[in-house]
Amino acid sequence: MTQFPDPIEQRPPDGGMPARRAVTRWAWRLLRREWRQQLLVLALIALAVAVTTVGVGVSANTPLSPYVGFGSAHDLATFSGNSASTTAKIASWRQRYGAVDVIDNETITVPGTVNSFDLRAQNPLGPFGGSLLLLTSGRYPAKASEVAVTEGVASDFNLKVGSSWTILGVTRRVVGTVENPKNLLDDFALVVPGQVAAPTEVVALFDAPRGTPLRTLGSNVLTPELVAQSNVLNPETISIALVTMVMLLIALVAIAGFTVIAQRRLRSIGMLGALGATDEHIKLVIRANGVFVGLVGAVLGFILGFAAWLAYRPILETSAHHVVGALELPWIVIVVAVVLAVLASSFASSRPARAMTRISAVSALSGRPAPPRQLRRSAIPGIVLVVVAFFLLGAAGASGGKGVGMGEVVLGFITLTISVVLLSPFLLTALDRLSRHASLAIRMAMRDLARYRARSGSALGAISIGVLIAMVVIIASAARFGNVLDYAGPNVSSTQLIIYTPNGPYGPRGPANDAPGGGTSKATTASMARSANSIADALGAHKIIELETTSATLQHAAPGRAYSGPLYVATPSLLRAFGIPGSAVEPTAEILSMRPGFSRITKMQIVYGNYFAAGGPSSGSWPCRAGSCLADPSVQEVSGLPSGTSAPNTVITEYALRRLGLKPITSGWLVETAKPLSAAQLTGARGAAAAAGMSIETKSSIPTSATIIDWATIVGTVLALGILAMTIGLIRSETAGDLRILTAAGASSRTRRNLTAATATALAFVGAAVGTSAAYVAMIGFSRTSALDGISSLASVPVMNLVMILVAMPLAAGIVGWLAARREPKGLSGQPLT
Amino acid sequence: MSMLELRNVSKVYGEGATEVDALSDIDLAVERGSLVAIMGPSGSGKSTLLTIAGSLELPTTGDVMINGTNVVGMSRYDKARLRRRTIGYVFQDFNLLAGLTAVENVSLPLELDGVPLKRARVQGMSALDALGLAHRAGRFPDELSGGERQRVAIARAVVGERSLLLADEPSGALDSVNGEAVMRMILAACHGGVAALVVTHDAKLASWADRVVFLRDGRAVDETLPPQPPEELLSQQATNP
Repeated sequence: MTQFPDPIEQRPPDGGMPARRAVTRWAWRLLRREWRQQLLVLALIALAVAVTTVGVGVSANTPLSPYVGFGSAHDLATFSGNSASTTAKIASWRQRYGAVDVIDNETITVPGTVNSFDLRAQNPLGPFGGSLLLLTSGRYPAKASEVAVTEGVASDFNLKVGSSWTILGVTRRVVGTVENPKNLLDDFALVVPGQVAAPTEVVALFDAPRGTPLRTLGSNVLTPELVAQSNVLNPETISIALVTMVMLLIALVAIAGFTVIAQRRLRSIGMLGALGATDEHIKLVIRANGVFVGLVGAVLGFILGFAAWLAYRPILETSAHHVVGALELPWIVIVVAVVLAVLASSFASSRPARAMTRISAVSALSGRPAPPRQLRRSAIPGIVLVVVAFFLLGAAGASGGKGVGMGEVVLGFITLTISVVLLSPFLLTALDRLSRHASLAIRMAMRDLARYRARSGSALGAISIGVLIAMVVIIASAARFGNVLDYAGPNVSSTQLIIYTPNGPYGPRGPANDAPGGGTSKATTASMARSANSIADALGAHKIIELETTSATLQHAAPGRAYSGPLYVATPSLLRAFGIPGSAVEPTAEILSMRPGFSRITKMQIVYGNYFAAGGPSSGSWPCRAGSCLADPSVQEVSGLPSGTSAPNTVITEYALRRLGLKPITSGWLVETAKPLSAAQLTGARGAAAAAGMSIETKSSIPTSATIIDWATIVGTVLALGILAMTIGLIRSETAGDLRILTAAGASSRTRRNLTAATATALAFVGAAVGTSAAYVAMIGFSRTSALDGISSLASVPVMNLVMILVAMPLAAGIVGWLAARREPKGLSGQPLT
Repeated sequence: MSMLELRNVSKVYGEGATEVDALSDIDLAVERGSLVAIMGPSGSGKSTLLTIAGSLELPTTGDVMINGTNVVGMSRYDKARLRRRTIGYVFQDFNLLAGLTAVENVSLPLELDGVPLKRARVQGMSALDALGLAHRAGRFPDELSGGERQRVAIARAVVGERSLLLADEPSGALDSVNGEAVMRMILAACHGGVAALVVTHDAKLASWADRVVFLRDGRAVDETLPPQPPEELLSQQATNP
């Protein structure tokens, strides 16, 4: 026996810090030794943090930040033009708050184009605006006869350093090229302060003491706080919400992972107990492991993400049109992601940590796992939360979808998520009961799922939540895109282009439109038609369709969404161009539309002429006044019309024009080509149209409903299958003993395969069913009270996608499980039959 | 006062039809400095007796006195502290903690009891040195031989002021030479004042004990003194291999 110098009575009764340090050190050593066994959770966390780092960096830097104009100031004031009051106001701020950086801008149109640039008077060494200027060559102007220009201005006017340039009657020498690093699309010519004679805009940057009431400063003053208030749903907020959801999923998967790890260490933990470790020490071993996994995963993920960010940054700068600093990342979001990763991992390890303390040291030393714990079987808490979520989302729907009710939406989804997690173990028990008369493999698989539902329940919860997210996107997209009034989707196809006259797609609405000579003159229209034809020729178009519009539009005089989209005239040439013979149009039809179900919408009316000028109600008046409105027009659905939201998907017939006395004017031309238009073709067309005083519209990046729904289905399926693949092995490892007994008793590989396939199929199917049901609960709860999209909006059921998730995904899980279980488990024969 | 005293200890597992009497009315005392061996066939209750003696399990009835304190009725927390300070275990399969070096394994009970790292390491090294393993102190368990691992386990069981050593088949996984070496070390610990209770199947090794208790079906059926002292037994073996 070794002699000991420290008196026992002086030692902390619980071992204190030395004991905690010792068990934490052991946990760290075990992670270093057995990191491969925890690769799944490590990889998930690392991937989530890496994707967050890159994703949030890109999303926060892609749009121009609403804060860029501030430079380094806290307050930004904008004045329209310069006046004595502006000068006085700035002088008073200067007196009260110290330095004020004044930037004068005068907008000047580039001759012969629709482009413009600013003549800007700004001090490059100003106290606050320095970060808004970057010298790229030469030097900044130092005197009135000097100017520095951006690349765009230099290109428009063919300037270079040393050139002489006359603008607004003043000749200056170009001494440098500059840019606004915060906005590379900002085209300007920089002159010294005081050289902009008639500024169209004056910007003052200054620092008022924090907390100065805005009413003292004036309504034209912005602060970052004010910008933030009007920018609640920014990329950072969305990223934090997403990363929270992802970490919750990871935590659910990690529970199963940490449970298995803890059981693999059962004997060591038993020995630790035998050595005198308290329950707290044993919990600390498992929880410290969880924290370390979270930390290592998060740090690895950040390193990977940051490396990817550095690699992608130059590409982002080009596409975002502003300089993006290497460290210009929303650090708060990244820190939140790292903290959430550690919290998720720590939370996931706390359950097995508690479970370990319930195992007696004797059982642990013999390596016998604890008997499956009887989890609460009652479905009542879960069902109560489902009801609460339903009403919370109903409250959100009733808020009108105008930004209010976000709290209820978030709370509703959190409640729904918790209810799914609570219901999962109950469903596994129910599944076990249902399978009592099934074949041996299925019966055993279901029984194991129910017996080990502490693990399988969390896996089922994770799968259900993954499906829930995907299904909410699918159902919401189907409902939104299925709305025939506020028709959403891509504007035109990639082989289409619309050239607009100054009348635009909606025409100069009002009586002047229908009066003789209303709208653009005939000569101008003829000239524009020639230009449009030449643009179409240059593009190799095989079809050019004249688009005519009138003062008429459609109005929905009932609560809910309003009609959106242009209302072109169904000219014979337009109908012919889309292969619709005149005979296919009913003689008394007033509106033709390709929008399915449009003819069944009630309380529609055509409003025209001086309806709005006379102060007519924008909606809700039914039936409307005759003379400027036609209630309940005759609508015919014609599938031949194009589907783009900017294309003539809904048109007014010539019959209606005659009946209502409407006069069509040329709004533009729809050009169709055989092949998708290239970027160079679009640039050429844009330039040619601008030169002729017209504008063009090309395919926007708005995806189709099918694209969104299909992607959501794929992501939901892959997510669920991924979680399954990760957890199925863990769950089966729990029952390795049974498997060994089965094998020893003569069960063939087919039984093993069936067992794994049944486990995978059951988990995937129940997860898909629970996730889909929860998604419908959420959407019905929200829609039933929504004034915009009523419950009828859910009538568009994405059948194929439902089949994919509810049938194909579980089948795929079963097949993969069956194939993967072909091999006998490693070391099966060498292990005891316990 | 005995270091370990079991009074009327019984242990029943299961209920009703599955009820099994693992131990029945066991009375046993182990004095400081003495080595008691428990022998008996499989299922006789040897290991149960050991775990009850070590406060890892509670008896169904009876009292377990360790150094005069009854562990029955003690809280989990107090039992953990008792194990940290008084009881050392040695198992057949060593049960060293992977990830910790030999010296870290040995000093772990001290650290768990709140002894600062450096002082615990010094004590750990000292215990290893006493068993001739100081040169292997920095090795991990999987870098040690079976005999070395068991010596580390013994060092861990006696480090600090522990005075009750419980060993379950300590030589079960070792060859005869290493098995005897282990018993010699346990005996040496007893000479240092430790009370030891050793479960073994091996009559030769049991002969190292001061007393041998035989168990059958959970009952102590016999208690004898070894016929010969171990040194004599070894010399006899040397002359008649």
